[in-house]
Amino acid sequence: MLTCSVRCQRASRQLFASSSTNPFVQTRSYASQPKKGQVVKQASQGFKGKKGALPGQAEPAKKDKKMAFQPLPVSQLPHPLFESDRPDTLSLQSFHPEMLTRIVESQALKFPHNDNDPFRIFGLPRNILVEYRLLSKPCSVIRSVTIDAINKLDAASEKESWQSRVIFTGPQGCGKSFLLLQAMQYCNARDWLVLYIPRATSLVNSTTAHVYDMRTRTYLQPVFAYQTLQRFLKVNAPKLEQLRTQTDLEIERRPAVPADTPLVELINIGLKDQGLAPTVLSAVLEVIGKQTTFPMLLAIDDFQALYGKSHYRDQHFSAIKSYHLSMPRLLLEYASGRKSFARGAVFGALSMSNTTFPLPLELCEALSLEYDRPYGPYVKRSSELVKYTHRLEKLAVPNSLTIPEAASVFDVWMKDRAVPTKPNDELFLSKYSEASGNARAFVWKGLLSSIST
Amino acid sequence: MVHVLGVQLPDYQYARFALTAFYGIGHKTAHRLCARLQIHDKCKVRSLTPHQITELAAFLSSPSTSIPLPRMPLASLSYKPPPASTPLAVLKEETKKLAKKAWADPLRNIKIESEARRVVKDNVAHQRMIGSYVGKRHAMGLPVRGQNTQTNARTAKKLNRVDRRG
Repeated sequence: MLTCSVRCQRASRQLFASSSTNPFVQTRSYASQPKKGQVVKQASQGFKGKKGALPGQAEPAKKDKKMAFQPLPVSQLPHPLFESDRPDTLSLQSFHPEMLTRIVESQALKFPHNDNDPFRIFGLPRNILVEYRLLSKPCSVIRSVTIDAINKLDAASEKESWQSRVIFTGPQGCGKSFLLLQAMQYCNARDWLVLYIPRATSLVNSTTAHVYDMRTRTYLQPVFAYQTLQRFLKVNAPKLEQLRTQTDLEIERRPAVPADTPLVELINIGLKDQGLAPTVLSAVLEVIGKQTTFPMLLAIDDFQALYGKSHYRDQHFSAIKSYHLSMPRLLLEYASGRKSFARGAVFGALSMSNTTFPLPLELCEALSLEYDRPYGPYVKRSSELVKYTHRLEKLAVPNSLTIPEAASVFDVWMKDRAVPTKPNDELFLSKYSEASGNARAFVWKGLLSSIST
Repeated sequence: MVHVLGVQLPDYQYARFALTAFYGIGHKTAHRLCARLQIHDKCKVRSLTPHQITELAAFLSSPSTSIPLPRMPLASLSYKPPPASTPLAVLKEETKKLAKKAWADPLRNIKIESEARRVVKDNVAHQRMIGSYVGKRHAMGLPVRGQNTQTNARTAKKLNRVDRRG
């Protein structure tokens, strides 16, 4: 009971806290209470009645579509229920690129909070978003594989991106998405240009508009390209202002963009007209690919979603392949090395928990991973996908956290009052053993599902 | 609200679901219709462009006389698109040369609204005309397919008739 009340208290405090401490505010339109005089329509009229408003009753008032679930600021929560008996003890060092060495392995560092945070603007994968809504500060634990990834990024900053195409692999819940997030934050702090796609599944699950284009012979996704341009500009604005186009660029339905045009101006062309966004995005990445002032990181989560059939259908109801959609095709061309940045890298993270977009055979073979279905030499492989997986490098994320890493994770959640009981070794070791060291299982099925007092 | 051929499609609904409001269009036909008109699965009715609505209305008004759509050419791995300044007429010409013949389109055979209701009415009238058991049951306003009449049968008693609306 005590556990439940404290957890509810903590959850309600998190939920109603001001957005200045917790930036992950959600806006939703929940069903409102019926207003005075408003009639609530019955869901079913039974055998005899017609569907629709009953005779003699007024039609229900329209819902206020602008209503959103806004959390209250902390100053409006004076009730003692919202007061905590323990002071806030989670104090973490900031994630600075200079301090990321083997010395800080197994330490938790908090991500800096500013207006142009890449993960606030680009978005986050669903699992990480849910965790950061519970935690008081977005943070992560530095692991040995983090240092390995950072070393690869340091090496990649002087090389072309086709030489540094790394995919994080590992079982589900081992921390691939977190690792990609850390890599992205590191690059952003190191003055790289960063383009982060947190959910590549949204490119192929038929949630944005698509239209066939005769020139490129692919299906353009103007809305997604527009949003990507907008976010890319917001995160990298200070660096993009220093870059200019090197050659004349042709754009549909308008005069060519002359050489030496600021890159920001080129991006604004795509932002003014959504129909031009795919062409502008492609042109912007080409310009960035030729410059050597700033290295570029292209980070893609749910990487395997780019390698399968999409949920889009063509006009004859055949499934559209992912490389016939403009956005996935653009990402695949950089991931496969067909297009390259003069300085930079392409990092991807697989998602093993998404059953709608499973790991395809071609990607498994390229990364020497175990395929979960029977296969052999007579199973057809798509030649296009095999070419798109050419020489991808694998970075295996260990399935289990080491004891010091798990201890840091435990420390973060304990200090953030995730579990009402006082932290002790017995709880830590029992949850660590139950989860076999798996990070997601340790946090979600171990700590947060614990009812021990 | 969008009105298409006398049927109201609410703005807040997904277009793929809203199309099932037409008599004679179920979920599968609605999915095919959306694919034909390049409407993605999560597109709401309020997001439909006027061009898409016009195409939808034009198609549904007479599906059998619609123009068969060719299969558009798709980019291979090594395809390099022509420059953006290429005139539209040139692109159309090249696309037309490479487009393949359309397959048989099941959507051209769909019947909606009054045509679909007429089909049901004609089927029942035919059964009555030939004096079949099915026709007799429709005439008596009783269940046709061997259901219980000792109890229930309320729907059949309400709806079954020779000139059934559908």
